[in-house]
Formats: sequence, C-alpha cells, structure tokens
Amino acid sequence: MAGTSPGMTGTAAERNIVRLIGAPLILLLLTLFFSSFSQAADLPLHPQRIVSLNMCIDELVLRLADPENVASVSWYSQDADNANMAEAAKLRPANHGSAEEAMFFHPDLVLVGRFTPRTTRAMLSEIGAPVVQLDVPETLEGVRKQIREVAELVGEPARGEALVARIDRDLDAISVDSQMPKLKAIILRPNGFTVGPGSLVDELLKRAGLENMAARLDIGAYQQISLERVALLEADVLIANAETSGAPSLATEGLNHPIVAALSRKLRVVAVPARYWTCAGPAIVDAVRQLVEATRDVRAKVASP
Amino acid sequence: MTGHGPHYPALVAALAALSLSVMLVSVFVGYAHIDVLAALGDALARRDSLPALALVQLRLPRAILGLAIGFSLGLSGAAMQGLLRNPLADPGVVGVSGGAAFGAVVAFYSGLSGIFALALPLGGIAGAALAALALYGLAGRGAGTMTLILAGVTINSFAGALTSLALNLSPNPYAVFEIMFWLMGSLIDRSLSQVALTLPLMVVGWALMLSSARALDALTLGEDTATSLGFDLVGLRWKLVAGSTLAVGASVAVAGAIGFVGLVVPHLLRPFVGHAPGRLLLVSGFGGAVVLTIADIAVRLLPMHPELKLGVVTALIGSPFLLSLVNRMRGQA
Repeated sequence: MAGTSPGMTGTAAERNIVRLIGAPLILLLLTLFFSSFSQAADLPLHPQRIVSLNMCIDELVLRLADPENVASVSWYSQDADNANMAEAAKLRPANHGSAEEAMFFHPDLVLVGRFTPRTTRAMLSEIGAPVVQLDVPETLEGVRKQIREVAELVGEPARGEALVARIDRDLDAISVDSQMPKLKAIILRPNGFTVGPGSLVDELLKRAGLENMAARLDIGAYQQISLERVALLEADVLIANAETSGAPSLATEGLNHPIVAALSRKLRVVAVPARYWTCAGPAIVDAVRQLVEATRDVRAKVASP
Repeated sequence: MTGHGPHYPALVAALAALSLSVMLVSVFVGYAHIDVLAALGDALARRDSLPALALVQLRLPRAILGLAIGFSLGLSGAAMQGLLRNPLADPGVVGVSGGAAFGAVVAFYSGLSGIFALALPLGGIAGAALAALALYGLAGRGAGTMTLILAGVTINSFAGALTSLALNLSPNPYAVFEIMFWLMGSLIDRSLSQVALTLPLMVVGWALMLSSARALDALTLGEDTATSLGFDLVGLRWKLVAGSTLAVGASVAVAGAIGFVGLVVPHLLRPFVGHAPGRLLLVSGFGGAVVLTIADIAVRLLPMHPELKLGVVTALIGSPFLLSLVNRMRGQA
C-alpha cells in the first residue's frame, strides 16, 4: 500500500487508520492483560479469607464454605428477620458493603453482587483484591448454576452439588402436579410492587400450582401495581410479604390497608416471610412449601365445586 | 368591600359546587376500570363485591382527602396571609408543613402511631405548632417580607434535615427511601380509617379559622381601630395559629407536605372578594379543594409510574407563580 499511495495524503490516511484501529486494540489488549492478571491469576483454589459484601451471597458462602474461612459477611445477614443464616452470620465479623472494610480483612476472595456500587468494585480491583461479581439468578436453573459457581469459588464443589441435589429433591416432593388446574394468584410486595413473568418468583408460583395474574396485566418482571387493580383482579390467592420487622415504614403500609383485610374475606391471603425469596437461594423451597400448604384447601374447593 | 357584596354568596356557592363536581370526577378516575354506578349499588345494598370494595375503600377516601386537604391548605394560606398581613405567607413557604412532616415522621417511624393511631395526626399537629411558634418568634406581626421568607427558609431546611435524620435512624430498610413522600406528598392508596382519623381535626381547624373572618376584616383598618371595635386581637391570633396548625398538621400527617396550594389559591381569589381577608377564607378553602383534587386527578391520568408526587405538580404550577409575584412586588418596592 505504502508504495502505491502518492505522497503525504496516503501516509496521513494510513496513520488515521492505525489510530482508529490501533488505539482500541491497545486498550483491549491492556484490559485483557490486566483482567487476566487481577482475576484468574489471583483466584485461590481454596480461599481462607473470604469477604462477601452482598446479603444473598453471604447466605451461599455461609452454607458452602467452612466458617473459619469466612472473614466477613454483610451486616444485613446478621438480622434474623431478613436473612436465613443469621445464626451463622452473627459468629462472623460484619461489613457494611464498603471497599475499605473489605480491605481490612486482607481478603483472598471478595464476592460482590450486581448492585454493589461501581465505585466500590473499582476501588477493590485497584487495590488488587481478587473480586468476583455474582449476578442475581432469574430462573431455577440460574439458582443451581450460582450455587455451583460459589461452591467452586470457595473450593467446595462437592457441597455445591449436594445442596443443588437437596433443593431439587425437596422441590420435586412438594411441587403441585403441572396437570392440576391452576389457582389465580397475584403478589403484593412493599411499595405496591408485584412480580411478573420471566422471573424466578414466577417460576416458583408455577411449581406451587399457581398462575401469576401479573402476566395478564402486561407489566414487566418487577412493577408497581395499584391496590385498586389488585382488588379488581378476581384472584384466588393474594401473596403478601409477612410483616417480620417491627419497625414501621410506608412501604409496608399498603399491606396494612383495610382493603387487604376486606379482600381476605373473598380470597386466600398468604403471608410469605420476605427472607424466603428475597434471595434466589436455597430458601425458595420454603416459599414454595408455604404456598402449596396455604392454598391446599382452596385448590380442593376449586377442583370440586 | 361593599361593592362586591352581592357576588360573595354566589361565588361561595359556585366554588362549593365546583369542589363537589371535581370530587365526583375524582371518584371516576383510577387505574382499573370500575363501573362506579354498579359498584355504588353493590355498596349501598351491602353486597361485598370487588368493585364495591375498591370504590369504598380506595376511591372514596382518596377523593375525600383530596377535597379536605386542599380545603385545609387553601384556607390556612388565606388565614396566614391575613394574620401576618403578608401575601407570601403559606404553610409550605413558611415551614409549617415541613414541621408537620417532621412531627408525623417521628410519630410514625417510632412505632407510636402503630400503638395509638391518633398519634400520627397529633404528631403532625405538634410539629406544625412548633414551626408556627418558631415562625412567629422569628417574624411576628409587622415583619417585612424578607424576614418572613428567610425565617421560612430556615424553618423549612431545619425541619427537612430533621425529617431526613429521623428516617435514617429508623431500623426499617425502606424508611430512608420515603423522604420523597414526606416532602412532596401523595394521596395514593389512602384509607377510610385515615379519613376518620384526620378529618375531625381538620374540621375543628377550619371552624377556628372561619370564625375569625370578621375580626380579620377589622384588622385591615389597623390594630387600634379593630380593638376599639371590640375585637380581641390576641384571641384572634391564637385562633388563627391553632386553626391552621390543626388543619395543616392533620393534612400533612396523612398526605405529606404539599406546597403552593395555600400560596396560589388566595392570590387568584383575592380580587373577587374585594381584597377582604375575612371573605377570602372560605373561598380559598374551596379553591384549594378544587386545585388539589384536579392535581390528584392529573397524577392518575399522566402516563407515569410510579405516580408523580402531588407536591411536584403543585410546585411546577406554583413556582412560576411565586416568581411572578416576587417580580411584581419588586416593581412596587
């Protein structure tokens, strides 16, 4: 090319092309270099100072790793109203989700969630801590995958397999036959949120023999719904969060609205403790079990009117 | 004053009728389709149908509260403007609403109102009273507009900071995200029990303010003249402060602090009552009811979710209004 291009214009154009392709290429190579350096190379096979900054990951770490290898979990996990492994969490030092606190424990593995602030993650990787970000599973298959992933990370793959097998066995034992007629259900969470199709909770409802009416409302996976629409849905089952924390908030006021009490005369209101399905973890089995048991007599009535 | 005399009853009647009509419209507006007439039939026949439940438990309290809170804010604005003889006095601007929000927040998040329901409006009233007393101390009668506004800014930011602090101290993880409700206000998913809890207190406040109408008119002739006409000015001040505190405190406790209604409405109506502050009271009440109910209908019709806070709508309309008012006052000065 250089030989055929006349004079200065050719080289300028070439230089531009090199700049156009070259700069991103160098950047990409640098990124690849550093990411391979800071992630794969540094991840220990059997970490002994694990720090988790996310409540849902705390639970998996506490279930899968040996307690002495868990350096710190988030403070949310120590509250038995919110978390399923509070007893075990209380025995470990707590953090409040900041990079500074995480560094204090000299971690050889830091696990963060999707919602851990970008600045926190950036700070951690700058300091050179091995950080792994875990997503929020949206399906049952995703839950299995995440349990296996965390088990692998903490160096206990066999425990991960065992936990997945136990969840599957429990779910199969309690699930309602998919051939059975479905009960119509709607979820009402704090701040008037409901859960729509394409979510893990939607899949759990199916396992419990319930049809999620949010699908008919043409709303996304997690949307607000007015009490008015909830009241007029003609559902068989209204699934609310059980009041666990004694502290009041407007978010849970909607669930105390007199219309919810009035509706309970016409349909079954099931109060599921939030900690059963706040996290896409092993406790989802308890959510399905409660839904199945609380709607058994309603189902019988619908089946033989 | 006398020139507008014959029109006054007609004006009151017209605004009252308008208030009732927008309230009726409010009952027909919502997120789900309700055959209102059929639902009403069910409700009257004590048939426990779902539409009847939604109508009685959700639409009705929302419409009643829109009307009552609008009435409270409009009337209190007119009363404060008459008392302080300052056209910029309004429960929101001078910080009485902010104080009420703080009082209600303390009563609610501490769990006090869970044990004893009346604690919520009483907390709002106590907060409003504290703010009103602070205002009166900082910018009592005869103070210039500048002093009044600065006192209002101070009380407002202090009350806002205390509200935020109280929400942060709550052990409930949702609480800290609820500052918007308390500072901007909303009528979403209110209940009849909240109506029963706050409406009586508001009505007492209205009665206190409305009964001061003639004394307020006399005050325009000067304090000495009013006293010589036999009006008790100390009693008048206490009645107006207590009345507006009751009405605003109870309103904010159930719907958050909604601004500008008490500022805009008396201004719009003042020319129609011949600038008589006493006559302005009742019409401003109805005017406020109309304005707030229309704003509440608007937030339900706008295609925004979560629903826009009421204070956002009233501030969007009210702020330019306040600006033009300031501009006009600058011209006079």
